Amino acid sequence: MQTLDTYKKAFAAIPSAARTPQRQAALDQFLAQGLPTRRQERWKYTDLSRLQTLTPETSGVSEADQSWTLSSNADAMDALNAAFSSGGLSLDIASNTSSEEVILASGTGHRRHRVKIGRGSSAVMRLEIDPNAEFQTVFLDIELEAGANLKLLRLHNAADSAHHVTRIRAQLDRDSCLDVSTVDLGGKLSRHDLEVDLVGKAAQMNLRSLFFAKGTSHIDNQTRFDHRASHCSSRETIRGLAQDSGRGIFNGKIVVHPGAQKTDSEQRIANLILSPKAEIDAKPELEIYADDVKCAHGATFGQLDMKALFYLRSRGLSEADARALLTLAFAMAPLKDIPVAAFREEVTALVVEKLGAKVDDALLA
Amino acid sequence: MLQISNLYAKVESKEILKGIDLSIGAGEVHAIMGPNGSGKSTLAHVLAGREGYEVTDGGARFQDQDLLDMEPEVRAAQGLFLGFQYPVEIPGVSNMYFLKAAYNAQRKTRGEKELDASAFLAYVKKRVATMKMETKMLHRGVNQGFSGGEKKRNEILQMLVLEPRMMVLDETDSGLDIDALKIVADGINKLRSPERATLLITHYQRLLDYVKPDFVHVLSGGKIIKSGGPELAKELEEKGYGWLQAA
Repeated sequence: MQTLDTYKKAFAAIPSAARTPQRQAALDQFLAQGLPTRRQERWKYTDLSRLQTLTPETSGVSEADQSWTLSSNADAMDALNAAFSSGGLSLDIASNTSSEEVILASGTGHRRHRVKIGRGSSAVMRLEIDPNAEFQTVFLDIELEAGANLKLLRLHNAADSAHHVTRIRAQLDRDSCLDVSTVDLGGKLSRHDLEVDLVGKAAQMNLRSLFFAKGTSHIDNQTRFDHRASHCSSRETIRGLAQDSGRGIFNGKIVVHPGAQKTDSEQRIANLILSPKAEIDAKPELEIYADDVKCAHGATFGQLDMKALFYLRSRGLSEADARALLTLAFAMAPLKDIPVAAFREEVTALVVEKLGAKVDDALLA
Repeated sequence: MLQISNLYAKVESKEILKGIDLSIGAGEVHAIMGPNGSGKSTLAHVLAGREGYEVTDGGARFQDQDLLDMEPEVRAAQGLFLGFQYPVEIPGVSNMYFLKAAYNAQRKTRGEKELDASAFLAYVKKRVATMKMETKMLHRGVNQGFSGGEKKRNEILQMLVLEPRMMVLDETDSGLDIDALKIVADGINKLRSPERATLLITHYQRLLDYVKPDFVHVLSGGKIIKSGGPELAKELEEKGYGWLQAA
């Protein structure tokens, strides 16, 4: 049984005006359920026990942050985030507008953002984390109205001691498009959930994801796309790398509900293991309850292609440079199509640095 | 240029090369012919330094240095080039990047100055035109989605860019139609010079109609069983290898 005393104490120390009934209810739910354990299927690869005695950050918690509601099916992590939320951006973008890039700022402590993009509008947003937080949860709820288009960028590059849980939930109405580019370069523990409901006809979901677990990083990605209407499509290009004692997880679930005919979904996961102690677990999951659908998926695991390595060396590249080049080329698959150039360049430079490669990024093919 | 003496080599504990002696001088073009499984490609890979090919006896010297002692990239920088029978596809690395990285890596190893991007681009484009390729291929992944013939042309393009001293071409003619064969042969002939040497490994006489060899050798069972002039290739074309192996 988890005592979670540090969480109770921290909550009690919040100014009384901010200890609203909603927050109290959220805390009670969190305490009743406790932190998820590995016995729960969706947490089977990630051990949160070290968070049980942590003191949650509360400095940003104030009375004003009440833009959220806790849904009836919220889990413990959702309740924890709500109880200790230091706020976040709550944004409604009007119909038929186009906005500048919006930053969903990391702030301190637990963050809860809410974004609604009006009919026919388009936006670019960047979800940030506090890279030095000992433990931070970041929740983002997205609603796309008909024909809305959101490009969401997420870079996770945290300190070696940082623990993060990020959850993005989206609801996509007719003809809307959510395009997510996410890059996980580590921290002690990074858990990222992406839950997308395609509720309107011909909605579209694109995901580009790269994770690189190096050192002792533990990176757990969980996606779930629910195709609930006809003619929706989803595209996923996932690349995972693990080095040293790094651990990476990618669980990609797709549910095609009854009536979601003409669903077109494709999920490609490829993983590269760079050291003997590194580990990656990847699982594509498909549940299909409609009969006229196209669902393609595949997961591969491998090491560097020795034939390609020799080919490069036979042309004069040193072994180290050849390895770095092949690794980078592998990692570039989701990165090269990132639709926002500044972000693409930023993350590419970080990946190059992380690989210790002396290669420039003009290699895009 | 290249002296191979009494070379024995194993692949996965199977002995493939059983005492090869071959001396190639500057300015010479040698052709090695032979039936499947005779050890032709093994010889090419041993010369280029592929892992998993174990030399058990004998040796090879390249420009008066011990070739087998060098890492593959050092062999390349010293001027040895292997044209692959099966060029490797490398998705995500553009041909342009690959050429530039290889060219500059070799120059660096030799202690020469690297060429800047715009000078290099002009240098490459000229050679792309020689190979009758389209410059847009430079921005595609290395060999990615190339036909067999395009891959072979790309090998020769790399050779023209790297300007090696010793060209070892492993079945570069296979999979080529007659027009592509001529282009490939033109590329090889372009580099023929008194300072360079060529080793052509081939099944067929037809490449030798375009790239005239000075010497022809027959490899069978891991040994050179006959050497001669260009007329030997013609003889092989007519009679096959049987009469030699039986002898």
